[in-house]
Formats: sequence, structure tokens, C-alpha cells
Amino acid sequence: MEYVNPLTGFRLDGRRPNEMRQIRGEIGVVAKADGSALFEMGNTKVIAAVYGPREVQNKGQQINNRALVRCEYSMANFSTGDRRRRPKGDRRSTEISLVIRQTMEACILTHLLPHSQIDIFVQVLQADGGTRSACINAATLALADAGIPMRDIVTSCSAGYLCSTPLLDLNYIEDSAGGPDVTVGMLAKMDKVTLLQMDAKLPMDIFENVMQLAIEGCKAVAHYIREVLLEHTKQLECHRGA
Amino acid sequence: MVGLSTGEKRFIHGGIAQDLRSDGRKRLHFRPFCVETGVIPQANGSARVRLGATDVIVSIKAELGKPSSFQPDKGKVAIFVDCSPTAAPEFEGRGGEELSSELSFALERCFLGGKTGAGAGIDLSSLIIVEGKVCWDLYIDGLVVSSDGNLLDALAAAIKVALSNTGIPKVNVDLGPSPDDQPEVDVSDEEFLQFDTSGVPVVVTLTKVGRHYIVDATLEEESQMSSAVSVSVNRHGHICGLTKRGGAGLDPSVILDMISVAKHVSQNLISVLDSEIAAAEANAKE
Amino acid sequence: MRDLQLSLNQTQRVRLQVALQQLQDLASQAAASSSVTIADTIPVNNEDGILKGHGTSELDGQVVATLCGVVERVNKLVYVRALRARYKPEVGDIIVGRVIEIAFKRWRLEINFSQDAVLMLSSMNLPDGIQRRRTAVDELNMRSIFEENDVICAEVRGFQHDGSLHLQARSQKYGKLERGQLLTVPAYLVKRRKQHFHHLEQYGVDLILGCNGFVWVGEHLKTGEHDMLDDQERRPEISKSNKIDDEEQEWTFTPLEVRHHICRIANAVRLLSALGFILTVEAIIDTTEAGFSSNIEIKDMLGPEFYVQIVEREVQRRISLLRKKG
Repeated sequence: MEYVNPLTGFRLDGRRPNEMRQIRGEIGVVAKADGSALFEMGNTKVIAAVYGPREVQNKGQQINNRALVRCEYSMANFSTGDRRRRPKGDRRSTEISLVIRQTMEACILTHLLPHSQIDIFVQVLQADGGTRSACINAATLALADAGIPMRDIVTSCSAGYLCSTPLLDLNYIEDSAGGPDVTVGMLAKMDKVTLLQMDAKLPMDIFENVMQLAIEGCKAVAHYIREVLLEHTKQLECHRGA
Repeated sequence: MVGLSTGEKRFIHGGIAQDLRSDGRKRLHFRPFCVETGVIPQANGSARVRLGATDVIVSIKAELGKPSSFQPDKGKVAIFVDCSPTAAPEFEGRGGEELSSELSFALERCFLGGKTGAGAGIDLSSLIIVEGKVCWDLYIDGLVVSSDGNLLDALAAAIKVALSNTGIPKVNVDLGPSPDDQPEVDVSDEEFLQFDTSGVPVVVTLTKVGRHYIVDATLEEESQMSSAVSVSVNRHGHICGLTKRGGAGLDPSVILDMISVAKHVSQNLISVLDSEIAAAEANAKE
Repeated sequence: MRDLQLSLNQTQRVRLQVALQQLQDLASQAAASSSVTIADTIPVNNEDGILKGHGTSELDGQVVATLCGVVERVNKLVYVRALRARYKPEVGDIIVGRVIEIAFKRWRLEINFSQDAVLMLSSMNLPDGIQRRRTAVDELNMRSIFEENDVICAEVRGFQHDGSLHLQARSQKYGKLERGQLLTVPAYLVKRRKQHFHHLEQYGVDLILGCNGFVWVGEHLKTGEHDMLDDQERRPEISKSNKIDDEEQEWTFTPLEVRHHICRIANAVRLLSALGFILTVEAIIDTTEAGFSSNIEIKDMLGPEFYVQIVEREVQRRISLLRKKG
């Protein structure tokens, strides 16, 4: 299958190899949550809701010097192309919940909120590749919306290598092609990588290129997220008045 | 779920008794509906309905399947509802399962009729392709994104809107030489048949608080209910399904009265939904 | 807007766009330029002794923001004022909370903070009004003062060692709130003022703007009326009325006239908080009066037409405020 057209260099959906899909973020989609956001990367659509910081519900889990961060990832039955009934707590969901929790925990300033609990719930509405990344981006927006102090904006993007070309932001078809899939999560301003996952195999020098491409994608997403947050903050302040 | 103090409970009871609820509505007023269609592009039909802070999404997917041997001339429909943890931290893990199954069964009762398929709100015989061999399986999946009471009515409205947005692909059937052969079905990618939704009912839930019933209860009002009756009514005023929840016993005359009130309210609801559907489709075309 | 879902028709949409644009133009330039998001560098003139306050941290010798908000400078202190966030308590704040649990000699209240707050039995007036040491009998009778899910008005006394709050409710104006409804608004919309208790005489309604974002709108009770003695008289009635006989209950219901006002004011609060306008008594009364004069039904105060009207009114108000200043 020609994932990259040898003549034009375009991918199956008409993008160039180093072009990301269209991204869109919206803040405040769940009224009852402390913070919430919708994030779209192409056809992948994810809602994140944050409840907290609030009193720890299960005293046994309380941590005395920092906040307890919990995360749950769920996919809707209709989220994938072939509709499948998803049991709760299956292994993939548990793994992704863990990954998102660790990534967000690394950037939340938990020591400022001792004896409290922060719940992050991520719901996938449509999955078209890059769900992990979309979830992290949505969670960042939701945490910022909830006013939770963070050391930096965490963003995530994926990249792969098909037909001898590094490709940025794989969609589902490209992801299931059997080639490598590198997901990177990074703290944008501090320029530090906090999440790095890869499957399949890649020679080291090509891996560096692909990872660098994913990092560029993360930076582009961070730029967009920062604009969305700034715009939202200005609007809130302007409405509030003196 | 936040509890209520005795004073607040009294206030809610008093409001319902005096026909002035906490947000100014009368007993039989719905909150404004906000309807969007086509929110899940990869599904055959989808809709999102917002009723106050209640937010639900319904998606409808059609897949090829085999009709059951009991009803070889009808297609199959399955309804599943999922409560997302984004709606409330209590729905985390398996916390939302009880509510999800309750809603799924109530909706199946309202839309799908009895075990023989008799009296179904959705016309199942329109889903058959080759009798006894090939039919459409419709999977109706609901997702509760945010909850502020009255989930059943919101989901039923979303199902009605999603069905009006559903396009079943046209199929070309090649029957094969002998009658025992499995027919070849070619699913068209481009041509779609709009699903016929004239018989699809709406659900009106009447929540009894004290001596009066209210329509479209918020979470706080629902916590005060003694019992609730959900009635599914279609355009012709026929009742397609009935569910009673809550432990308190009801006098049969009260139930009959609630049913007639529900019928009366449903006609207005159907016209509101129809105009919202038309507006949403007009918006989608822009 | 996050909380109200509205279907606006074409004219309303246009009017809303125009009004929102005007609000933006009116907003001071200074406010817009000092908005920051997470990890933005806050410009400091490299003065010595800059105090880094809430919402800031240091990175490579630069001051960066850890929250999205507006940078405020007070003398040598630089901090970021967050907008949508949980309540940030200060000693002396008047708050409204809900009892979650009765524990050993204390009540735990939920107050929209990162932890639950504590109201000690010793910080609460006893039903008989006598100042004395609390005995074991008092501890057992705590439920007769406040029970689970009660809504209470209290004042922040201080912070505990683990960061949670201590409350006190010793004055007559604090205590249990009944006969009304509790609304939740974002805490940043309630400004700290001298007065948080408002008795709106023209409506017969009590309005309490808790600094933590819990707003109480209820029937007016003379101070001291909502204290414990009255409740103990009512208690036997409550157990009787649990047999659900509404005829007997009706005389304890809030009169319809007052209820009208309570619902109008509550809807005004809901509308203003959905719009993100700061909640002051004047703004709430103004919105309620606008509702009266437009002659719209109470439930339509949350509808599209009134929504657009209120935005337009706010624009006019800010324009006239600017004129008075400049």
C-alpha cells in the first residue's frame, strides 16, 4: 500500500509527510466539572474533565505532602470504525490511564496541594489514530481550566516511518500499517521529554529523525494550546470587569 | 451526588406544590433543548442533545447481520447506554454500570416493543434485506457526557434525532443460484436511504414529588422523588412503552392520570423536537 | 458560554456578537497585556528583592507563571491572580458550606476548597446560648445543632497545620440556612467586600454571597430566628410530616410572593455567573429589576432574549462608568 505517493509525496489523506492534521481545542464543555476541554486532532475527538483539587475520598490513599492524581481513560462504543463493545478496565485502557496519569502528574505542582485529590477523566468520542496524544492535550487544557498549578504545558504528538519517510501525526490507517509508532510527550517551554513510547523496530539514526519530528509536532501543538488558553483567559477577564 | 438539607428539600417540595420550581419553571415545562446532528461523522447517524446541564450523545451504526430465527422478516436493533466518568466522579470504573443498564433497558422497552417485536416504535421490518438470511443490525449507542437529571428523556430525544439523521446504505443483492445459498450483498458507498422516523416515539418522564408531578426534573428534584413514571408516546398519541421507577406505591388512578398528562406534554415535545431537528439540519447544510 | 445552552436566532446572534465585541473594546488594555498562561515569563525589571507570590515559580532565573490568569503587582510582590479555580481562602472571609460529616467534636464542611473545612464544636454557639464548656452530652447532641447536608454560613478563623480551614460561627448572623436555595458560582466572581449578608427588603429575601462561590438566596429571617431554638420546636413537626401529608406541610412553605422573588434573584445570579460578570448586589438587583421591567416570565430569564439584553445593559453600564472616570 502506498502510504506516501512516490510522485507527489502526498499521504493518503493529502497531507505532506511533516504536516499535522487540523487541531482544535475548546474549553468548558462539561458544566459540572472544575475544568474540562474538548480536543480534536483530525478525526480523533476526545473530552477531558477534571474534578478537583478536592478532599481525598478514600482516606487510605491520602498522601500527606502532595496531591493524589487519578486518571481514567474510556472509549465510547462508537469511537472506532467498527463498533465494538468495550469492557471497562481492559488492559489497553488501564495502560493508557497509567500513561496519562504519569505524564500529567509530572507536570502538576502536586506539593502545593497536599491532602487533596485531582481526578482526570478522559473520554474518547472518535478514534482515528493518536488517541493517546489527543488525551494528553485535552487533559492539559482541562487542568489549566480548573486552575491547577502546573510547571509547564504538556503536549503530545506521534510520528511514524512508512515507505522510508518519517510521517508526522499518524491517522488510524497509517497506524495499522505495521510500521513503527513513536509517541512523544513533552514540556514545551522547558524543552524536556516526559513521555516516550515506541512499538515495532527502527534503526537508531532513523529513530532520532522520527523522534525529532514528533517533538516538532509537540511544539506546534503547545503553541496552539497556549493561544487557546491566552484567548480564553483574556475573555474571562474582560467579561469579569473591574 | 450532593445531598440536600431539610430546608432545601422543603423549598423544593414547596416550589413544586406552588407550581414555581427553583429555576422559575412551572411543573410541566421542559428546559430548552439544544440539538446538534452529525456529531460523529463515521457513524450512520448521530446526535447530541443538551437539556440544561444534561449532555448526551447518541450514535447509530448499521452493520450487516443475520435475522433471528424467531423473526426472519425483521432486522435487529440493540440499544446500549454508557455513563462517562466525565459526567460525575461516581461513574468511575464500574460505578456507572447500574445506571447504564437501567437506562438501556428502559430505552429498549420504549423503542423496541415486546419480545416478538410487536408494537416497536422503530419499524424493524424496514431493516430486512433478504428474508431469513440478511438484515441490518442497528446498534444505538448512547453516551452520557454530563448529567443534571432527566437522562431518559434526553437520551430518547437524542435517539429520535439521530434516527432522523441516519442514512442506511443502499444494497444490491445477488441472490445466488439456489435458495440455500448465502446471498452476496454489495453495500453502496454513496447512496443512502433516510430512515423513516414518523413512528418513533418520545419519552416523557413524570417525577412525583409530594402530591404533584413534574416534567424534566433536575438532579436535585429527582433526589426528592417518591416515584417516577416514564411514558413513551408517538406522534399519533399511542403509548409505546411504560416504566415506573421508585419504591413508593401509586394508586392506579394516579398512574392513569400521569399517563394522560404525559400524552398531553408529549405532543408539544414532539413538535419542539421536530422544529429543532429541522433547524439542526438547516445548520448542518450551511 | 459554559453553563447556559441557548439557541439564538439570527438577530440575537448578531446583537450578541456586537455587544461582546464592545465589551472587549472597553476592556482596559492593561488587563489584556498582563494576561498570562502557564509557563509564560513574567517580565520583572530585575529588581532585587522581588517577592514571587502565588501562581509563580522560578525557572532559569526568570519568573514564570504556573497558572492561567492576570499578573498583579503590589509593591515588591508579583503574583498571578487565577480566574477559574477553586476558592482561595483568607482569614475573615464569610463563606457558605455544606456539612459532609460529623466527627469527634467537629463538623466537616464542603466549601469548594482543595480540602474540607472544619467547624469545631467549641466555635459554635450552643442552643441554650450559655457560654460554657462543652460536655460529653453536647458532643452527643451535635446532630441537633447541625446534621449532615445542612447548609451553614460561617467565617474563616484560620488554617490548620495540614492546610485545611478552621471556621467559626459564633455570631448570631452565622448558622444554619433554611427556606431557600443554594447556588454554586465560580469563586472568582465574588469579590471580597465589607458586606456579604444582604437583606433585600423590597423583596423580603436574604442574599448571602459566600466568598467561596456558594450563594444563598432565601426567605428573610430576622437575625436570631434561624438559630437552634426555633429548630427544636420544628423538629417534632418534621417527623410527623415524614408521613407525607402535604396539607399539613403547606403552612410551613415559603409564601408564593417571596418565592417569586427568590426564583427571580436566583435566576439573575445564574445568568450573571454564566456570563462571567462579577457578582455584586447592585448587579444582581439590577438584573432582577430588568427582568421585572421587561415583563418576562421567571424561567425566560435564562432564555436567549434576556441573555442578549443583559449583555447589552452591561455594555451601557461600563460605557457610562468610563465616562464618569474620564
